[in-house]
Amino acid sequence: MIWLTIITMAILVFASRYLFLEPKLPVRLSKNTLTFLSYSAPAVLTAIFAPIVFIQEGELALSLDNSYLIAAVLAAVLAFTTRNILLTTVVSMGLFFIIH
Amino acid sequence: MDSSSKETITTTALDAVIKGALVILPLTIAVIPWGILAGSFALDAGLTPMESQAMSAVIFAGAAQLVALGMIKTGVGLTGILITTLLITSRHFLYGMAMREQISPMPLKWRLTLGFLLTDELFAIANQGKQHKLDPWFAFGGGFSFYLGWNIATAIGIIAGQTLPNLDSWGLDFAIAATFIAIVVPAVKKPSILICVLVSLVMSLICELMNIQAGLLIAALSGMTSGTLYAKVTGEKA
Repeated sequence: MIWLTIITMAILVFASRYLFLEPKLPVRLSKNTLTFLSYSAPAVLTAIFAPIVFIQEGELALSLDNSYLIAAVLAAVLAFTTRNILLTTVVSMGLFFIIH
Repeated sequence: MDSSSKETITTTALDAVIKGALVILPLTIAVIPWGILAGSFALDAGLTPMESQAMSAVIFAGAAQLVALGMIKTGVGLTGILITTLLITSRHFLYGMAMREQISPMPLKWRLTLGFLLTDELFAIANQGKQHKLDPWFAFGGGFSFYLGWNIATAIGIIAGQTLPNLDSWGLDFAIAATFIAIVVPAVKKPSILICVLVSLVMSLICELMNIQAGLLIAALSGMTSGTLYAKVTGEKA
């Protein structure tokens, strides 16, 4: 059962990644569509990280007790000022593991 | 589109592979805690070490793997797992569409390879706009080195999971947040992207608090729509 789950999930994930790379798929993308898609990465990644940071045990956690929030704020500040992915991730994770 | 015959500066394939690996390296390092989490959590969900490693080697999708493991642990059936996987993986449709002009003219072996390797992280380094010609070897170097990093981290997690208890209470999932913040914040280069991010953020929290399964999809599409409309209404330059 686990193997079936792994294989079917793999097919689904691969299909989602490959589908629009297939030239035979009759899709022509308009300029508007491409503009719309240019927002996909920030939108999707934000929707994944926001609940991890702001919600703890099913509730909104906007307090200083929330170590995810504190470290995420540091990450955002570092990312904004340095634009350095490595520095941002390493330093914010460092702080997180100290205070968590 | 400019003529496809336009040659980019000639670099050897190996140089491009190394360059890709170096450009993605910060993200490869940042994925280590996340990979460790995927490996240890898989054991915790009752998978054998072999199955745990296979998840990372064959599926190669961190968010989908972790969510699926949570569902396996709580006894959700295959159909439920696959529907949720489809929702989580649906962002890759968008990445594929965004990369379509660049990758679809390439030979089949490149399409299959880069398709398999098309993660959030590879998309972040490879999607540099239509005017920038994508070197498949560069993308391969980035994607494959990231794949190796993910699988080595998973293996570490499998070994650590057998020896260290309570690895899941370490908050390794913060690595996911740190990585995505590091990708998203520098990408906010104009007001419409800020609008997109803020709408997606608020919507994802609302959906999560209301336990809406399709929350990720709803939040992302709301953010994308808001950003697009804002750019249109204000006549923002692309």
